[in-house]
Amino acid sequence: MPTEGINSPVTPTPPSGSFSGGEAARGTGETVVAVRNLTRKFGHFTAVDRLNFTIQRGEIIGFLGPNGAGKTTTIKMLTGLLRPSSGEVTILGFDLRREIRQIKKHIGYMSQKFSLYPLLTARENVEFFAGISGLPPARIKQVKQELATLIPPALLRLQVADLPPGIRQKVALFTCLLTDPEIIFLDEPTSGVDPELRRNFWSLIYGLKTRGKTLLVSTHNLDEAEYADRLLIIHQGKIILEGPPEELLQRTGASNMEELFKQAIISHETP
Amino acid sequence: MKRLKAVIIKEFKHILRDPRSLAVVFIMPLVQIFIFGHVLSFDLKKIETIIIDYDETSLSRELSQRLAASQYYELYFSPEENAAARKDPDRAEQLLRSGKIKQFIIIPAGFARSLNHSPPATLGVTIDGSDSNIANRIYQYNERILREFSLEKSHLPNPIQVNIKMFFNPEISSPYFIIPGLVAVLMVMISALLTSLSIAREKEAGSIHLLFISPLSPAEIILGKTIPYLLVALLDGTIIFLFARFWFGVPFRGSLTILFLFSLIYLICGLSLGILISTVAATQKVAMMVALLATLLPSLFLSGFIFPLESLSPILRSFSYIVPATYFLRIIRGVTLKGAVLSHFLFEGSVLLAMSLFLLSVASLKFQSMRRSGQ
Repeated sequence: MPTEGINSPVTPTPPSGSFSGGEAARGTGETVVAVRNLTRKFGHFTAVDRLNFTIQRGEIIGFLGPNGAGKTTTIKMLTGLLRPSSGEVTILGFDLRREIRQIKKHIGYMSQKFSLYPLLTARENVEFFAGISGLPPARIKQVKQELATLIPPALLRLQVADLPPGIRQKVALFTCLLTDPEIIFLDEPTSGVDPELRRNFWSLIYGLKTRGKTLLVSTHNLDEAEYADRLLIIHQGKIILEGPPEELLQRTGASNMEELFKQAIISHETP
Repeated sequence: MKRLKAVIIKEFKHILRDPRSLAVVFIMPLVQIFIFGHVLSFDLKKIETIIIDYDETSLSRELSQRLAASQYYELYFSPEENAAARKDPDRAEQLLRSGKIKQFIIIPAGFARSLNHSPPATLGVTIDGSDSNIANRIYQYNERILREFSLEKSHLPNPIQVNIKMFFNPEISSPYFIIPGLVAVLMVMISALLTSLSIAREKEAGSIHLLFISPLSPAEIILGKTIPYLLVALLDGTIIFLFARFWFGVPFRGSLTILFLFSLIYLICGLSLGILISTVAATQKVAMMVALLATLLPSLFLSGFIFPLESLSPILRSFSYIVPATYFLRIIRGVTLKGAVLSHFLFEGSVLLAMSLFLLSVASLKFQSMRRSGQ
């Protein structure tokens, strides 16, 4: 089971013509993440306010919202890094509160803030993350070989700090996939990256989807919204709009994502 | 075990990739020991001294004059007072107790005869040991003057035997005990500093979350971060010690193995303290400040390094029991200066071990709760 997961970033399936809608792109109907009334307060400030949503296997969820909307806080709670103030989360049938150990075996997480140690080389980072994940030595050897096909040999000896951003991002995703997780949480993976690299990165994400992975990708970048199967638009800690991008455009009559987003925020703030 | 190894290897690479921090860690203590070592043993002048001569020979008078003429000493008594004091030797002791004088020297009757015919001749010296630095200085000045005097008057290597009495601080028996104390202070400071940064760095970078999400246990993270720094700290400790030994010429009378063994425990204690600080502090800067404050001040002032424990108020004194340097100070002074053996320090060693275990457990618990609450 674990082997096929790794190599896909190397030869990603290019995004197909239509990114959204269509039965094939949707999930299989099996709910892998169920969130009920998820709330996180920091003192008097409610960062995440009674979120309710589900994610089906094989879906790419675009988690969209401006900076400070609560995206990172939500992802941290879903990955067990932050304790919810209240609410319930079930991931792959495991309860987040009681069975986080089980959950951790099946999820991948790429943080917005940190993904690789800048002082180590790509290979050393991979060795480290493979090591702490408890991969067997033979498997570690294998993933190192895979890494060597992923990035140009000349860059293998460079410290991550000196790598171009696109490569860095590829390596980060690669390390996130080392344990072959079923559900992958990517927190603003494309922030600070130019549009072309962003498109490349989304083709990697599509490659993962074709192998049955479920992804939740947060972004504050509206251009990326249409890449997702389904959008969760979050604002001030609340989900204000939810659905496949095309459907949302149709339903609201907005001509593009930006308009859709503005409308949603305005209607949320003036109920 | 494999996961632990991965953490250790990574940590080592981080240490080596950051040569500037490493240089600071190795050079800072040398600069400090150099400055402290010299500042704390600054030259004193005009130390109030009483010399009582019961021998009254030309030789004894010459010795008194030699002592009195040195730039370091100033005679407290006029010649008339001195004559009176001969009949009342307790007077000098009272003056010493009241702090009016820093030392009194008694040349016993028969001093000249012993020196010429049956050396060694004895000389009684009583020093105010309450300020250990001054006491050290006086000891060294006496030695210098007496050495010159002996060389002129005798062919034997040590014709004058000095019976020293330290008032208030009987522990002081060698001029060199400042430097081993400094070694103790610097060792705990460096070891705490090293590890205090390690977890705080991961927190600051955000990489701590990737460790939390991995199957690593808190113990694996903490041990993985302690072990590499133990090696660095050992190397650093060795360098500091060699500097003390060869730059300041501190004698070494004990067993290196024993010193090494106890140093190992002491360093683990310092590293554990650093780890605990690291789990509490949010940033590297805070961690560094706390590590310096938590080690330097108590080790300097509450360990018996500068002020004898006896001179501390009961409250401060009770604090001294939780300062690791208090225990290691006894060990390192004992081993270097007195050649003490293992069995002398079983208590101190056990306390340091217990402290390390305590600190590491608290750090582990703190770490676990941090992981659970995500903060």
